[in-house]
Amino acid sequence: MHHYFLDKYAALNSIIHHLDPRLKIIVFISYVFFVILTPPTEFIKFFLYFLLLFSVIGLSKLPLKFILKRSAVVIPFVLFVALFIPFLKEGEIAGSYSYGNLNFAVTYPGLLILFNVLVKSWLSVISMLTLTSTTKFADLLKAFEYLKFPKVMLLVISFMYRYIFVIVDEAMRLKTAGDARNFGNLKLKHRIEIFGNIIAVLFIRSYERAERVYAAMLSRGFDGNFRTIKEFKFSNIDLVFGAIMGLILMNIFVI
Amino acid sequence: MHIPDGFLSPPIFIGMWIIAILIIGYAVKKTNKKVLDKHVPLMGVLAAFIFATQMLNTPVASGTSGHMLGGVLAAIFLGPFAASIVMASVFIVQALFFADGGITSLGANIFNMGLLGTIVGYFIYKGIRKAIERVTRKESKKGIIIAAGIASWCAVVLASAACSIEISASGIFPLTESLIAMVSVHAVIGLIEGLITMAVVSFVLKVRPDLLNLEKI
Repeated sequence: MHHYFLDKYAALNSIIHHLDPRLKIIVFISYVFFVILTPPTEFIKFFLYFLLLFSVIGLSKLPLKFILKRSAVVIPFVLFVALFIPFLKEGEIAGSYSYGNLNFAVTYPGLLILFNVLVKSWLSVISMLTLTSTTKFADLLKAFEYLKFPKVMLLVISFMYRYIFVIVDEAMRLKTAGDARNFGNLKLKHRIEIFGNIIAVLFIRSYERAERVYAAMLSRGFDGNFRTIKEFKFSNIDLVFGAIMGLILMNIFVI
Repeated sequence: MHIPDGFLSPPIFIGMWIIAILIIGYAVKKTNKKVLDKHVPLMGVLAAFIFATQMLNTPVASGTSGHMLGGVLAAIFLGPFAASIVMASVFIVQALFFADGGITSLGANIFNMGLLGTIVGYFIYKGIRKAIERVTRKESKKGIIIAAGIASWCAVVLASAACSIEISASGIFPLTESLIAMVSVHAVIGLIEGLITMAVVSFVLKVRPDLLNLEKI
């Protein structure tokens, strides 16, 4: 697996990439809150939020195809909501059909709920993707440290980031070995047992690796802190970007 | 089961965030007290392990596939609080980088799968294990394996029930229908989780039984 699997486009060169990570975290998370707190009937506001976010993406030179593809993860949940729309009985009926004795009716409030979750979850997902695709993982963690995130968790996450690639590679090798031995065609009982064994082997290998990593780090003087050379600087561009984003979001929200 | 943004109303997600922060805060405090440096690399590598297992899908039936949640599994080896930190870290990375679960709903996701699915799951495991040991009057490997399986099943079902209650309380789903749908689907998914957890635990008991006796946090 390539090491840029997590923050693939974080090394691009654009104005958004060079902003202070602390500011970016605050701006993109506030964006999510503004979107979530907007009432679902305000269609124009959602359109404006959409325009704002996509102009930022335009500035950041991120490939649109990548953003759209990653944002498709919200689809299963939205479909699950769509499944329940016929059960919401109250309200004016937008359309109905019957199947045998069963009558299904789709009401306007039901459709509004669907629109609500679809647009809000989609915009939020894209906002977070833009944040993490324009910021390097190490910078993001450092920024979270400035924002008073618990240190144990940041340490766990940074170790996780360093070893995800190694362990996913290990997992994929095990999977290939299983597939090469016709794993998919076994009976379910055997398949579950073998799958369990695969995970157990992965667990033991990960644990033993962790022990070696710990010993290696200890012998190099690890004292529970990560140190980075880079210092964050809050520049005038950051100030301008933060002010513009804040003003636009506020304006969209209150109009 | 990772709830995206927009599915929970403000009072619900704020409430869940507060609960999640309290729990994680307690877990962080507990972990900090014990040997911090030894556990941190272990927890980090195990978080990567949980992440990798969630990527390994096993085909279940006719096109659908399931993956592990792994909360109870992590708790059996690390103890409930260290495991809840590991799980929370996994959810944070998934929410930030894979858009798997939202930011506003992260508190709810940590509560559902990190607290109900890990801490409560662990105490169910411990309770069943003790009960079996009391009945058979000896410490048996079978008891550990069975307890792990049942606890994993309970964890998945509890987490799915909590997930559907939270979304219904936000007015997105009707409560009864969604609860029935979510819980019945996850009762089956939980069965697979339970069986896989049992297979993992029995394999580890055969190969490295010492790993089950690590210091638990």
